[in-house]
Amino acid sequence: MTLDDTALPEDDLDGHTMTELGDYLDRGRLPVDPSIENSAACRLALAGMTRIRELSWTALTRQSALDPQRDDTWITGLLDTIKGEIKSGRDVPISHSDPSLRLSLTEAAVRGIIRRAGDTTGGIVMGRSALEGDVTTRGAVIRIEVTASVEYGRSLAATADRLRDRIRAALDDHTELVVGEIDVTIDDVYFSEEPRS
Amino acid sequence: MRNSPAFGRTTRREDIIADLDPLQGAADAVLAARAVDGDVHAFEVLARRHGPLMRVYSAKLLGSDIESDDVVQEAFLTGWRRLDDLESPALIRNWLMRIVTRKAIDRIRARRDVDSLDDRDPPAPATTSPERIVEARLQLDAVWQALDKLPAEQRQCWLLRETAGYSYHEIGEALGIPTSTVRGLLARARRFLLHELEAWR
Repeated sequence: MTLDDTALPEDDLDGHTMTELGDYLDRGRLPVDPSIENSAACRLALAGMTRIRELSWTALTRQSALDPQRDDTWITGLLDTIKGEIKSGRDVPISHSDPSLRLSLTEAAVRGIIRRAGDTTGGIVMGRSALEGDVTTRGAVIRIEVTASVEYGRSLAATADRLRDRIRAALDDHTELVVGEIDVTIDDVYFSEEPRS
Repeated sequence: MRNSPAFGRTTRREDIIADLDPLQGAADAVLAARAVDGDVHAFEVLARRHGPLMRVYSAKLLGSDIESDDVVQEAFLTGWRRLDDLESPALIRNWLMRIVTRKAIDRIRARRDVDSLDDRDPPAPATTSPERIVEARLQLDAVWQALDKLPAEQRQCWLLRETAGYSYHEIGEALGIPTSTVRGLLARARRFLLHELEAWR
């Protein structure tokens, strides 16, 4: 179907064109143009355009929820590919009773341990984590830096302390890293009841 | 190697928290930061949160429902590989939306090179039978179908502007047309959509 412009006259906008009104809307109706705002026809057109914007967004959202299996398929394929592309980072040595065997853990795996320790604390969602120092040399003291968001209403100091303890315990259990300081930066507070998007 | 090694001594409480998956409710910025760190699961949550809408968006943009799965998958893969370039984690949705847009436009371009005669306006989709349409959904369906009736370029301009938040200048660059043309196409698209909406009032 082709659209014939002449079939859609735009004369009744009190001297304004649809192009102008679109621009005006895109500018957030600022600076206020009285000749537009005082025109019933213009305001009707602006309200209509805003309505279409909202409707189309809602329609898009609704359509996107109709076929979860289809999304599952491409997302599963995506994950299969990217799992093979994780940057493993440095090798963190682990001792073995047989000295002829070299055993190590990747830096990525260590970060996974840190994240898991934090996420399972309760009231914490981990953000970034970094291992500072020479993790490749056994016995070297390293520093851990993490960011985390904390559930609204919790004591930040107590939560940060608990997080430090848990990270230290997890790394003691699963690695031979000598952990010095653990710097915790709380960079967000979240509300537990409502999932955010 | 797995991202997180199996834990020998997890308590039940930890398992319960892990099962609830604290990432489900996490903000985009948190998920993006973790994805930068190589956390696949965080990226998965982002893909599940935003991917479906981007798939539908790219289908509308392409005028092809079939290619949209490939486009959105390619886009998220590109996003994952370029996470280091992401300047503001909180804006990862917009950032991914732009990658999706570029991928879709690349396909439209490639198509145009192959058969320049064919504008490839999609056939109007099979309409839901009138009996099934409930009152509250009338307008939504009307808008959805009206978008399909727009000529391809008008629809592309409109989607880039209204869904992906592109400026007129950016739309022009993305589609390879002058900004003045973009302005005209947008105005026509809006006029048509308004006209269609009127019919459903």
